[in-house]
Amino acid sequence: MRIRLNVNGNAIELESATDRTLADVLREELGLIGVRVSCSEGECGSCTILVDGQPMTSCMMLVNQGEGKEILTIEGLGTPEDLHPIQQAFIEEQGFQCAFCTPGFILSAKAFLEENPNPTEDEVAFAMSGNICRCGAYPYIVRSVLNAAEKLQAGSSN
Amino acid sequence: MQSHFEYLRPSSTKEAVQMKIEFGQRAKYWAGGTDMTLRWRREIDRFSHCIDITYLTGLDNIEVEEDCIRIGALVSLSALERADQRHHLLKTLSDVTKLMCTPQTRTLATVGGNLSNASPAADLTPPFIAMDALAEITTEDGIRTVPMDQFFEGVNRTVVGDDLLSAIEIPLPESQHKVVKYHRIDRTIVDIALVNASTSLSADRSRTITRAGVALGAVAPIVIRSPAAERFLEGKSIDSVSESELEKVGEIASEDAKPISDVRASADYRRAMIKVMTARCIKDCIDELGGTIS
Repeated sequence: MRIRLNVNGNAIELESATDRTLADVLREELGLIGVRVSCSEGECGSCTILVDGQPMTSCMMLVNQGEGKEILTIEGLGTPEDLHPIQQAFIEEQGFQCAFCTPGFILSAKAFLEENPNPTEDEVAFAMSGNICRCGAYPYIVRSVLNAAEKLQAGSSN
Repeated sequence: MQSHFEYLRPSSTKEAVQMKIEFGQRAKYWAGGTDMTLRWRREIDRFSHCIDITYLTGLDNIEVEEDCIRIGALVSLSALERADQRHHLLKTLSDVTKLMCTPQTRTLATVGGNLSNASPAADLTPPFIAMDALAEITTEDGIRTVPMDQFFEGVNRTVVGDDLLSAIEIPLPESQHKVVKYHRIDRTIVDIALVNASTSLSADRSRTITRAGVALGAVAPIVIRSPAAERFLEGKSIDSVSESELEKVGEIASEDAKPISDVRASADYRRAMIKVMTARCIKDCIDELGGTIS
């Protein structure tokens, strides 16, 4: 079946079986391996992408359910030369160890900070509760998101 | 091996129902897919056609009217979470959704899907039953309405059949103040309830409880009511319920519970917790109604 997707600002048309998850197609057909698949059951959050700005576990979406929507993966967020403020904040605060879970955390943080630009520590922890970090970098991740909030606030007031 | 399936995208609820009738057991409705993906991967469900209803329009609205609140079956859990300012009953439902799955799965998961999956531990079922909510089901030639307490037939089984759950209606009786509360026992975040309970009280201007709903989850194959607990409360004043009566009504509810022991909790524990949670729910309801526990 021909499937049309809009991924990271690019209109893409591809051939895929219909009984595949969006996560698998993003990884295997489009090479977007920043979409990490770990639990495949919607619990760990490592496959989190933004669909029309909302965080979703792409391992639980059918590929066709991405049609007509704007999909953002970590590959669409910044470049090594021009990092997104949230990416910069994660580096500054060392919000990771192995970094397997980091794309999911950063995209969850992006959606959350757009809704709540000036959060408390508890609000950050609750908002990040759908992402699991097996290295246990949680305190650093919370600090990263708070740092990112400051960066984004400073950027928007300029 | 997990089954291969064809993907169908109906353009109306009527077309969706016709597709389901055509393929019967071989077809599955698919909404947010947060339960369906698991059932497909774990080979619990085998099917040849997936009917994706997420592109249907008009099923994802929450309408607050004078006499009822209508929640479209495709309203996502995160949309319900954000509706907390629109009505005090929606505030409770919003708090319930915060206990469910994760932020990223709440954006996908739908209210209709949560009900249709028919888990005895589902979080939204007890409050809907306690509030005397109605399921609006679209058939091939119209609409039928089923009270939520008659919607479930067993674990993962409902009366919907090949029809399609299209909305849930919460009636708001005239000149009554209606509230609902929910409590559950769980271990941590992203957990399902070991046992849960919800109560709804309606009071009139003379502060008399005109209607009580007591619904208990994870203590039977389906979420059940405790009619005896409901009768015990109805007719009482919201200023006359005593601490010992709260305890009594919890006991009555726990007698109606028929829990089993499983890997999550023992039957005795579940029964004991029903007593505690029912009493807490009623206390919270009376507090919200502005009554006092004597």
